[in-house]
Amino acid sequence: MEFLNYLGIGFSVALQPVNLFYCFVGVFIGTLVGVLPGIGPVGAMSLLLPTTFKASPEAAIIMLAGIYYGAMYGGSTTSILVNIPGEAASVVTCLDGYRMARQGRAGPALGIAAFGSFIAGTLSILGLMFLAPPLSQLALRFGPPEYFTLMVLGLTILIYLAHGSMPKALIMAAFGLVLGLIGLDSINARPRFTFGKMELIDGVGLVPIVMGLFGISEVLLNIEQTVQRDILKARVKGLLPTAKDWKDATGPIARGSFLGFFLGILPGGGAVISSFISYAVEKRVSKHPERFGTGTIEGVAGPESANNAATGGAFIPLMTLGIPPNVIMAMLLGALMIHGVTPGPLMMKQNPNVFWGVIVSMYIGNIMLLILNLPLITIWVQVLKVPYKILFPLILLFCLIGVYTVMNSVFDIYIMLFFGIMGYLMKKFGYEGAPLVLAFVLGPLMENNLRKSLIISQGDFSIFFVRPLAAASLILALFLLISPLIPGLGKKRRAIPKEEVL
Amino acid sequence: MRRGKREYGKNGSEKGLIFEAGMKKRDIISSLFWMIIGIGVCYGGYNLDLGTLNDPGSGFMFFWIGIIMIGLSLIILLKAIKKTAVAGELKILWTEIRWKKVVSILIALLLYAYIFVPLGFILSTILLLIFLFKAVEPQRWSWAILGAIISTFAAYGLFHLWLKSPLPKGILGIG
Repeated sequence: MEFLNYLGIGFSVALQPVNLFYCFVGVFIGTLVGVLPGIGPVGAMSLLLPTTFKASPEAAIIMLAGIYYGAMYGGSTTSILVNIPGEAASVVTCLDGYRMARQGRAGPALGIAAFGSFIAGTLSILGLMFLAPPLSQLALRFGPPEYFTLMVLGLTILIYLAHGSMPKALIMAAFGLVLGLIGLDSINARPRFTFGKMELIDGVGLVPIVMGLFGISEVLLNIEQTVQRDILKARVKGLLPTAKDWKDATGPIARGSFLGFFLGILPGGGAVISSFISYAVEKRVSKHPERFGTGTIEGVAGPESANNAATGGAFIPLMTLGIPPNVIMAMLLGALMIHGVTPGPLMMKQNPNVFWGVIVSMYIGNIMLLILNLPLITIWVQVLKVPYKILFPLILLFCLIGVYTVMNSVFDIYIMLFFGIMGYLMKKFGYEGAPLVLAFVLGPLMENNLRKSLIISQGDFSIFFVRPLAAASLILALFLLISPLIPGLGKKRRAIPKEEVL
Repeated sequence: MRRGKREYGKNGSEKGLIFEAGMKKRDIISSLFWMIIGIGVCYGGYNLDLGTLNDPGSGFMFFWIGIIMIGLSLIILLKAIKKTAVAGELKILWTEIRWKKVVSILIALLLYAYIFVPLGFILSTILLLIFLFKAVEPQRWSWAILGAIISTFAAYGLFHLWLKSPLPKGILGIG
């Protein structure tokens, strides 16, 4: 009964006109950034964060979450019609989606992507509703050692899943931790690494870092090369998949939802990885694996469902433990803290409005997305035609004003530009931004829990090994870190997504 | 098996072709950079007071993260030394790309941050946008100026009038 009560709270929050408005704005902007090149969901969320300061916490999170799952819908449109994924989680959709479009089946491809996303999104919200409450009960028993080791494990999984060199991902995480610790020491209020700058006393802001790494650097990388985009000229018609399409797609949607949800819980690029793995799984279970890559509907339905289901799964560690599993959730954590809500096991009790309101709004948002993406597809196709030379000055303008308005500080503009240059160079030298941002957010929490643990144990490190959960997390993290050195296992890590797909 | 792999960015465009075989010099440069940063972090942490294990001080985490960074940069450096060098691998960073445009835009953005408060939001933004509209793929002056003015006032309306964010008034006194 208690569950139904909470659900009632959720609906009463999500159906308030102002929250419906924020939800609509979120999914609309999400679809837009999913379709537009040059800006992804992370950049868009950091850009719009300042616009939520005057809203209630639930409205703010409803909108920001809407951008996230909305972008998953929008991203598939460009994959199918232009063969350029709107964001990374839609990369595999290109393989069969674009082929379908070239065979004159753009309609069913877009249709199944939207319906699959809707079904998977809905299933993952149900999973979130049922799994989150018992998990937060469990999390209430955790102390500083458990939190510290869980964060170590979270970061390690993210690094393990990062493509490319593991030492490089680790060094990014280490640098992120350093950045996160700049400012006043939370225990004795001593300024650290502030270089005499008043602006650094409160630490470096999350928004300038994220906007620099994911907004400015993307624009710089896009400007340096001329990308030709061939938009499919044929008209999109017949969006409703046929009975045969449905029959072929049901299995992939179900498997994709399940896979996506559980992979979404894990730290790292849940949506991206799950779309790759779903494609690989469908290819393996199919009776006609040779058809994959030639325009088969299973190759669109599975990954598109998986990437949407992953968005629901990703909320679990944030809402129950207060540990964000990926950069987007780290942004949401930042937004919640700004609004005075601390995510974690107590959130469900202390802020049921936010917790249940956001969950129910995601359900409503999914319905809005279905309407936005199917009947209105022609509008998004028009948006695709906006040339980049017009778009990029506007993206830069939004970044500049957005970052300034957070603290009304020009210093933050410089910080953003610094990270823009850094992100640009990181790409050239083969480094990734995600471990840096996640470690930046986790840094202060990790330090606090480590120091508390050591104070509790009077300097005895064995506290991390005698408590079962802490020990298990550390051992698993250690195993992941050394696994590339073990012969036979190292190869597997690289092989998971790419080689099975391409 | 292809030597290079295509990387998809957040925005999805294919870019930043990474050639693993051509990373030797780049890895050496980046590892040395991180080593210097690691040493700096270590030194800074040491000066901040390490504390004891019973009561870790302000510099405790910094010091140990610095040590880890130095260790990791050494691993990257040693791995890079083992790699085979490819001729012209550094050159690939600026050939066939329009790096001059990137530099000019960065300079413009830094100048914008510099003049933002003294000139005010309206004037500095119009100037920046005219430059950006003209810089990458030059458009007609009339279009660039008109586009810059419209975009600036639209942003002003959205952020200042609607969202009530204070923006610098500058010499025009609007804001």
